[in-house]
Amino acid sequence: MAIQVGDTIPNCTLTYAPFNAENPKACALPQQIQTHTAFKGKKVVLFAVPGAFTPTCSEGHMPEYAQRVNEIKGKGVDVVACVATNDPFVLDAWGKTFNVKDSILMLSDANGEFGSAIGLINDGTKNRMGPLRLARFAMVIDDLKVVYLGAEPARGVTVSGASSVIAKL
Amino acid sequence: MTIKVGDEFPQVQLKYIPFDKSNPDACTSPQILDTKKDFAGKKVLLIGVPGAFSPTCSVQHLPAYVTKASEIKGKGVDKIVCVSGNDFFVMSAWGKEEGVQDKIIMAGDANGELGRATGLSLDLTKVAMGPVRLTRFVAIIDNGKVAHLSIEPDPTDVTVTGADNVISAL
Repeated sequence: MAIQVGDTIPNCTLTYAPFNAENPKACALPQQIQTHTAFKGKKVVLFAVPGAFTPTCSEGHMPEYAQRVNEIKGKGVDVVACVATNDPFVLDAWGKTFNVKDSILMLSDANGEFGSAIGLINDGTKNRMGPLRLARFAMVIDDLKVVYLGAEPARGVTVSGASSVIAKL
Repeated sequence: MTIKVGDEFPQVQLKYIPFDKSNPDACTSPQILDTKKDFAGKKVLLIGVPGAFSPTCSVQHLPAYVTKASEIKGKGVDKIVCVSGNDFFVMSAWGKEEGVQDKIIMAGDANGELGRATGLSLDLTKVAMGPVRLTRFVAIIDNGKVAHLSIEPDPTDVTVTGADNVISAL
């Protein structure tokens, strides 16, 4: 069953390639985070995309978050993160195309652990996109509790978009 | 069981986004690459990599093939294909980053069909890179038959699968 507002997010391992201010083009060695440790006591906006470098994600979803991240953080959000089942190298490269630097944490759920735990994971095999793809959604998480969940009902970006989330902050 | 020299290369459908000279940044419609139909009567160099955008693949493996693509094709190779367990959107983006243009077809095996059919799949769940990956290999497929196969003993390194080693085998 999918996660709901009021639920506590599961404790999962996600990986990311940290931004290196001294060498912004470098691809750093991926680090791991535990969602409970990293998000404890914090207000987090977490948005999920099915695939880095895919048209909807690259044109319709990520750009608005990249443009409005400071506005989001200005409303008391401590962490803005993007999660996908792509690996951390791919997510790092994708984030760089939007020049996110360290403003958005690009988190990899390559094993689908987080997606499976929250029940928002799909099989993309029919489209030759592999067996593990996150559904498109956005969550506002306050001290590990889900306070907003916008899971896209169909293709496109509506309730999971930056403007929908900002309206809820 | 892993394929070996002399075997018929299995028939698998991979997906790729063709390079569009008139609009190089575009993400044009994906095409199917059928490893039986599209390889028939041709000499194909197939390069398998664990991960697009990953350091070893991006720094030590792919670039030499991009630089030496003309030399490779000059030795009778009709098609150069690079494949990984990433999807075709990621492969297309990586190809653009590496300046591949139309020298190499950047194909995705996100469903793991090629990996399973050839026995060259790699499960990288333990290092949080997902279960559907290919190991590092390079194959020369001549009219559907495996004429040369080098599998990197340590997929995090590039030795026998490097461009220079393959060129000497052509």
